[in-house]
Amino acid sequence: MGRDQRLEKGTGLGVILAAATCDPAEDIICAPANVLELFEFKTEILGIPGFTRTTFLIFFAAALVIAFLYFGLRKRDVVPGRFQSIAESMVTFVKEDIAVGIIGPEGAKYTAYLLSLFLFLLVGNLFEITPFVNFPITSRMAIPAFFAIVTWVIFVFVGFSKNGFSYFIDTVWPKSVPIALRWLVGLIELVSVFILRPITLAVRLFANLVAGHLMLTLLLASGWIFISSVGDIGVRALIGIPWFVFGLGIFVFEIVVAILQAYIFTLLSAVYIQTSVHPEH
Amino acid sequence: MVEELAGPIALVGYGLAAVGPGVGIGIVVGNAIQAMVRQPEMAGVARTTMFLGIAFTEALALIGFVLFFIA
Repeated sequence: MGRDQRLEKGTGLGVILAAATCDPAEDIICAPANVLELFEFKTEILGIPGFTRTTFLIFFAAALVIAFLYFGLRKRDVVPGRFQSIAESMVTFVKEDIAVGIIGPEGAKYTAYLLSLFLFLLVGNLFEITPFVNFPITSRMAIPAFFAIVTWVIFVFVGFSKNGFSYFIDTVWPKSVPIALRWLVGLIELVSVFILRPITLAVRLFANLVAGHLMLTLLLASGWIFISSVGDIGVRALIGIPWFVFGLGIFVFEIVVAILQAYIFTLLSAVYIQTSVHPEH
Repeated sequence: MVEELAGPIALVGYGLAAVGPGVGIGIVVGNAIQAMVRQPEMAGVARTTMFLGIAFTEALALIGFVLFFIA
């Protein structure tokens, strides 16, 4: 079995198993030839064209979210069970704290979008630290970019439909700014609102998850390789222990990052919609 | 001396782009902590605003990150 095949099989099974499939006798630190190997899965499941592991995980995340909401809110008991109260507190959190809290009373109708966004990104981010999955689907640019574009379409559409064409005029020609600076502020606002907002929204999520996945892979995999090759390299295998412990510390940190980034993406989507609903603030 | 250095200059660019947001996020979070300590009953509002401030301050670092891929 060649080096590339081994790595592909390893990354397919997850970080820790990836370390086990490396051959420590040949190369102790089995870094991939290209860092993209950690993020691209070429093997097609069931022979369906284009249906790779990433695609499967996207559908799996969507199914998880749908199942969570369906089974959580199916019975609607007055005294909710444990599962129902988790689902209800999620919905209440997104509705009260994000949709109504940021956008205002008329923000309740955006709850559906924000809730699906939050739950899907949360599940997608938490795949990073789920054992045997170990791959955040949001570290592929397609997912954050798609949701950023959807948010962009929503807030531009809401801005134009609520305020007419004056939404655009107020953005590029802000009345509250002194006339001498107005063109400059307008130019900055034009670039920032219509171009940089969706880009930064997508890149923030993407970059955080890529960095987290890389750190976890490097620390846990190399630590495990050192520890497991103790028969070949003797006492020098001890260097793997601090690496593995540091990797476990990062693991806990990544739980926080995964939840926080899903929250921030949803929060910023709500803020961008709010600036279109009330453009003067 | 200079010709001995090799590697993409974009790496240096990203490092420079990260300085400003680093300082900025420090200021944002520090002031948010002050606000939360002084008025614990407003901690929820301060936290939300803090995340927003971080998100906007981060934008420059994120643009640097993108430029690293483009360059």
